[in-house]
Amino acid sequence: MQPSSRSSVPAASNRPVGRQPAGRVTDAVARWWREQALAPSADFLPDFCDVQLVFLVVLGAELMALVLALAQAPRSELWQTLGLLSLFVQWVALTCAAVLCKMRRFLAKRSLVVAALLSYLLILAMTTFFSVLAVRAGLGLDHLTVYQPQWVVARNLAIAGIIGAVSLRYFYLQQQYRRRLRLEAEARVQALQARIHPHFLFNSMNTIASLTRSNPRLAETVVENLSELFRASLALAGSKVSLAEEFDLCQRYLDIEQLRLGGRLKASVQLDPALHDMPLPLLLIQPLVENAVYHGVQPLPEGGWVKLQASVVGEHAEIVVSNPLPNLPSRSGHGVALANIRERLAVMYPAGASLTTQIENNEFIARVTLPRQWTATGFPWAASAATQTANQPGVQTVVQPEAQPKERPE
Amino acid sequence: MKVLIVDDEPLARERLRRCCEEDLTGYQVVAEANDGASAIAEAQRHAPDVVLLDVRMPGMDGIEAARHLAELDPAPAVIFTTAYDDYALAAFAVHAVGYLLKPVRREKLEEALNAAAKPNRVLLATLRGEDGKVRARSHISARMRGNLVLVKIEEVLYFQADQKYITVRHPGGEVLIEEALKDLEEEFGERFVRIHRNALVALAGIVALERGALGRTVIRMKGISETLEVSRRHLPGLRATLRQL
Repeated sequence: MQPSSRSSVPAASNRPVGRQPAGRVTDAVARWWREQALAPSADFLPDFCDVQLVFLVVLGAELMALVLALAQAPRSELWQTLGLLSLFVQWVALTCAAVLCKMRRFLAKRSLVVAALLSYLLILAMTTFFSVLAVRAGLGLDHLTVYQPQWVVARNLAIAGIIGAVSLRYFYLQQQYRRRLRLEAEARVQALQARIHPHFLFNSMNTIASLTRSNPRLAETVVENLSELFRASLALAGSKVSLAEEFDLCQRYLDIEQLRLGGRLKASVQLDPALHDMPLPLLLIQPLVENAVYHGVQPLPEGGWVKLQASVVGEHAEIVVSNPLPNLPSRSGHGVALANIRERLAVMYPAGASLTTQIENNEFIARVTLPRQWTATGFPWAASAATQTANQPGVQTVVQPEAQPKERPE
Repeated sequence: MKVLIVDDEPLARERLRRCCEEDLTGYQVVAEANDGASAIAEAQRHAPDVVLLDVRMPGMDGIEAARHLAELDPAPAVIFTTAYDDYALAAFAVHAVGYLLKPVRREKLEEALNAAAKPNRVLLATLRGEDGKVRARSHISARMRGNLVLVKIEEVLYFQADQKYITVRHPGGEVLIEEALKDLEEEFGERFVRIHRNALVALAGIVALERGALGRTVIRMKGISETLEVSRRHLPGLRATLRQL
């Protein structure tokens, strides 16, 4: 009703788009040169050792030979011409593929420009070499045409030069395409990563501000707990933790909230010892606990409880977060955290994991079922950076059967 | 200057109390309350000059509490405190009303206390909940012999418009308020149904439809003896609504 009350949206930029002055084009080229041309070429060239690719090379070479034969041979000599041309083109193509296969590691370390240039020179060199060889061996490539032997070599070089340039351009575009796909996937997972909610942050700061005067030691504990949660939320998406570590983070979160809500929050955390070392993505469970506090305890004047439980169910681990259901019109945003976790499960557990929710006896129950084995594969950018929280010395995992804040203000 | 602190978090109250009493001079914290309803009770008991009112609280939130506090005579000035509330903050900023962000800074607190003003009706009507929607009140407040009486909306059996006032009937009796029946219908449309040009009835309180004198249909409500007349125009709509329950 009051549009002005939402006026904090920044005005969209009014810069005209579409017209690029010459200076900007030069800038763009310079940036491309700096950021991509000189960067390691990595997967610029496909793996020529791969059987499937070798087959494609053979197929491509044969098609080229066919085009050349159709273009130059009279009808009566078509098959003979095709045979000879195929022999020649296959020689060049397969030798190039073999050399590129051997040089793969070497090229991957060079910059894009160097790798492209070397591959191009290789194609030209092979063409020259085999052309000369063919002419010397009297393979008959020369009598097919009216050209002199040296012209045969020059003609072959020109054809190889054009086809080589087109193929390299194709490989480059393919690399760009794969790169974009990968960046998009990474961005998607990063965006799904659990974040500290501003509400929680500022409320915790207020708690600390209050405790600094009345109970400095407890204030210290809150700062420590908050730091742990922050560190975890800043970790790379898809980082791996053990279930005990994840439960420890949940406990730290609950400790802070218990202080803030002053006795209105009762929490119990139970972890089957067999699941202590089970790996899972970092901050997969904590958002569910946060949800439970936010929707199940905070709106109740008399407070409520949150129960966090992990147990073994066959080949799977079942993690259950439950809270009382307040008899109030539900606040918005309830589904956001759940949808987010579901999407993360779909991305990170291709083999199958689930999050189900149900309402039973006036309780809200969220149930996560995970396979007990999980590897962070598919997230190469995360594998090496596996959470710093987890490997930090001095972080002990304490799983208390009955959660109690370590100290209470008077 | 007498200050009332309202916040559901004990540590947040403690900090505000210290800031008011130890760091600033001339302010006396007369009471604390942990939700909107008890804030109104404390405000009536102590008649504070300023209320430091948390926006987010279980039960009755700060925004609704401010609406009821504005009915008091004399109404206290209100300073809202909040940790982070997009919608409320935007509204406060637009109406230049006192609000403080937690953790509260001492200078800002002093500034706000010095400039404390009463929020006006226009502001109160436009304040939104955390999800950006204007929320229906949880209580109806009415003045009775100088005191403010709160009636829970779940307890209201019907609203009946008279010439100038609206009678709010609840099991414990009735109170009079000065509002428009149309606004009440808009605000509480989910709970109440219109049965007559002058009456809104709580769906949950309806016991039976009966045939009254002169062929009129009347409605019988839970726990009270009087019946309400259903107008001929509203009868089909009412029947349809009841059938869906």
